[in-house]
Amino acid sequence: MTFRQARYDEPPVWQLAGAARRAPEPPAPIPGIPDRFRRRRAVDWPELSELEVVRHYTRLSQMNFGIDSMPYPLGSCTMKYNPKVSEQLARRDAAASLHPYQPVETVQGALEILWRLETALAKVTGLPEVSLQPAAGAHGEYAALLMVRAYFRDRGELAQRTEVLLPDTAHGTNPASAHMAGFTAREIPSVDGCVDVAALKAAVNEHTAAFMLTNPNTAGLFESEIGAIAETVHGVGGMLYYDGANLNAILGVTNPGRMGFDVAHLNLHKTFATPHGGGGPGAGVLAATETLGAYLPVPRVVKQGRAFRLDYDRPKSIGKIKTGYGNFGLDLRAYAFLLSHGEEGLRHISRRAVLNANYLGKKLGHLLPRPFRTLVKHEFLLSGAPLKANGVRTLDLAKRLLDEGYHAPTVYFPSLVEEALMIEFPETESRRELDGFAEAFDRAVHDTPEHLHDAPHSTSVRRVDEVLAARQLHLSRKDLPATPAQPS
Amino acid sequence: MARWIPDDAETEAALLHEIGLHDAEELFADVPRRVRLGRMGVGAGREEIDVVRTIDKMLARNRPYTGFANFLGGRIAPRFLPAAVDAILLRSEFYTSYTPYQPEASQGMLQALFEFQSLWVELSGLDAANASLYDGATAAGEALLLSRRIHEGDRYLVPASLPWEEKSVLANYAAGTGIRIQEIPFDPVTGRLDVDWTKREARSGDVFGVLVDVPNGFGHVDEGLLDLKSTIGAVPLTVVADPLALTVLEPPGEWGADIVVGEGQGFGASPSFGGPLLGLFACRREHLRFSPGRIVGATRDADGRPAFTLTLQTREQHIRRSRATSNICTNQSLLALAFVVYATTVGPKGLADLERTLSERARTLAGALAGIDGLKAPRFDSPYLHEFTVGVTRGTAAGFLDRLRRKKVLGGHPLADPRPGAVNPLGEVYLTAATEFSGDKEIAKYAKAARAALAHVPGAA
Repeated sequence: MTFRQARYDEPPVWQLAGAARRAPEPPAPIPGIPDRFRRRRAVDWPELSELEVVRHYTRLSQMNFGIDSMPYPLGSCTMKYNPKVSEQLARRDAAASLHPYQPVETVQGALEILWRLETALAKVTGLPEVSLQPAAGAHGEYAALLMVRAYFRDRGELAQRTEVLLPDTAHGTNPASAHMAGFTAREIPSVDGCVDVAALKAAVNEHTAAFMLTNPNTAGLFESEIGAIAETVHGVGGMLYYDGANLNAILGVTNPGRMGFDVAHLNLHKTFATPHGGGGPGAGVLAATETLGAYLPVPRVVKQGRAFRLDYDRPKSIGKIKTGYGNFGLDLRAYAFLLSHGEEGLRHISRRAVLNANYLGKKLGHLLPRPFRTLVKHEFLLSGAPLKANGVRTLDLAKRLLDEGYHAPTVYFPSLVEEALMIEFPETESRRELDGFAEAFDRAVHDTPEHLHDAPHSTSVRRVDEVLAARQLHLSRKDLPATPAQPS
Repeated sequence: MARWIPDDAETEAALLHEIGLHDAEELFADVPRRVRLGRMGVGAGREEIDVVRTIDKMLARNRPYTGFANFLGGRIAPRFLPAAVDAILLRSEFYTSYTPYQPEASQGMLQALFEFQSLWVELSGLDAANASLYDGATAAGEALLLSRRIHEGDRYLVPASLPWEEKSVLANYAAGTGIRIQEIPFDPVTGRLDVDWTKREARSGDVFGVLVDVPNGFGHVDEGLLDLKSTIGAVPLTVVADPLALTVLEPPGEWGADIVVGEGQGFGASPSFGGPLLGLFACRREHLRFSPGRIVGATRDADGRPAFTLTLQTREQHIRRSRATSNICTNQSLLALAFVVYATTVGPKGLADLERTLSERARTLAGALAGIDGLKAPRFDSPYLHEFTVGVTRGTAAGFLDRLRRKKVLGGHPLADPRPGAVNPLGEVYLTAATEFSGDKEIAKYAKAARAALAHVPGAA
């Protein structure tokens, strides 16, 4: 389709006030505050009318790509439609105007929603102990590894359990979280896109604290050897960790508990459709077996009769991981999504997401090689390597797709595939969009190298110079040259 | 069930047919039998009207603070939000967008984040800010980790008066590092930090960082902090600061802070029972490469036009993996947008005026509570802005606040760590805050309810 993103020459907000409309005066003294602590210079920020503010940010919004405008075939990101009803409910005064330190008697509805969502997610994950406290997926990973740490400390094995193993296809957050939690991250190689079970068997030992796995993995493949993997990790006393980024593929088909995982994180902003907000907020979920559940952050939401309360009496708990109880505003949205879909709806989600991936994978497989087996789950990989002969990189293809009105797929990940493109069309995308993307992809692959190098053409700006950004490091208004340089 | 999955069964069957399958079950042929599920047991789906009615019924069991005389505060601030803020946040080009990894298609969010970074640089007085972290407490945790990267040592000093949740979060950020967190004592009369003690410890050679807060956990502004950096020398100083307070106070960067973090929810976001929140983070330029989180930089496009992009990404987990400066991926972009839209809508003068108004109200409140037998308000003899700590000398703080609640007054929150067995050297104290929702009428109501609440509590021994 034709796609033309708005292209305003919208100046930064501080240039909208014109030439010093008002000379800023330092704030007047506040009684009792020592003069030495008083701000000597007023905050240098523009005084604008409401219309000026609204128009500025409305224009910026029009220079931004969102799901409501265009599809996002971003692998591992599950960019599905964010239902409007969830936005409406989260903005109710009875949801938004709740302070986390209000007495529990005044937040019974919020606690009920959290409790019901946790109860439902225990069923979805097959793990009985659930907490909605993490602010995001990686935050959940970190908390889960701290739980694993505390568990081994209680067993007197912490000094020995120094390693967290993970496949070479793991999300970057996995090794980063492992490192932050004080473990050494060690990669296990893949064979044909899945964990090399023999290599895993050779790698596990008394030093293994945990094995972190995404299933289906980032190649879009279901790790069918999951039974052997679980036995291997448990055989040496290690914990099996489930990265729930790709849960959208397996709702009602299998779950982490059934597969033998001990602890999991989920991303409500993926599977349960809460909006990504331009990079956040997300909402994470921790789910664990009874054994590890004792270490979940405090407080826990508990039900007593018809009443709900926050339980701090969890002696093994790792404590707090953020202020307040998770991202309630997002949890509420996710609960509305879960209620709407119900059992059959959740199953339909995974069926359709997997169908979309396999249908599109087959179509695009005629254009670029698919590295591994072709039965995939919710996403699939392509390799842009053949285009290199013409001097075209995967990045060029990604930028060219923007011109067609599709967000670029995830690129250069996982690293075991040369010039990787990782494509995921969640269940909310129609056949029309799948076919449209396939046609756009076909045009892009067959475009001239010159035009591909030059892409994108239809976005608010042309190809952005990231090298210049890293070299000059202009990170705020303070760093910008006083008079904007003329375009070269 | 809502119509969120497109196409009819016939179209889905056709898609299946095109890939040579006959039954959707075949799509899951690679999932072994032994791990397959029966039913999950999550109930049947519902129509939108039923979802709305069900959730509204649950929400009706909440009593939002808007129905009380509200004096709740701390790091999370109930504020009035101008309608223009939500109007912008509801632009779905913003809220349904992904992380701006494709800068050409994401200039709107990138520019807004650059403006947000600029505003936090201006308020904090430091060189550079990132594009947000989860909340103020996790931002403090990241500050601890950054301090460790830029200075040798295995001890970190934090105020004993820091809110218990933040202490606990810091302990968790430190859990994997083998370092020790030690608490800086405070003066029991003024609540001020023991600067001499801090100086002595910081100079002992094994301290890699000191963290302080403005206002502090008691709501007070501690003048001694202004001289702290000159006494601790090269040891990195982190300041946890409230953005509204920084509209009237000297920026921490001006008095030696190396890292300034804070909770930004009060600028543009509802408390929403504690989330989503907004972690603010700024540091010195020379430490940027060791700092966490996404950062937006200004650059040019192929035509030489001004443009923005994420930069310094080689610090981040998707590139550096286990050697990344942090594991953070998803952050709080939309709240960063809310922060800058709120601040610009209210304007710098409006923000400073708001802090002044709230500070005056806090003084009125302290005056109204001061004469009440059974309370000490403020508990500490020290300057404050819009909040302060109250001592309860008859009965417990929790019991007192509960009796206020029955009179439709949310008087504040207890500062004690609620975990059984926790050490609470402060005794019966709570934090109270002036808010835009609490004028003279509400203050009078508070004082009256407080008198009644304490009337039949036996005096302390």
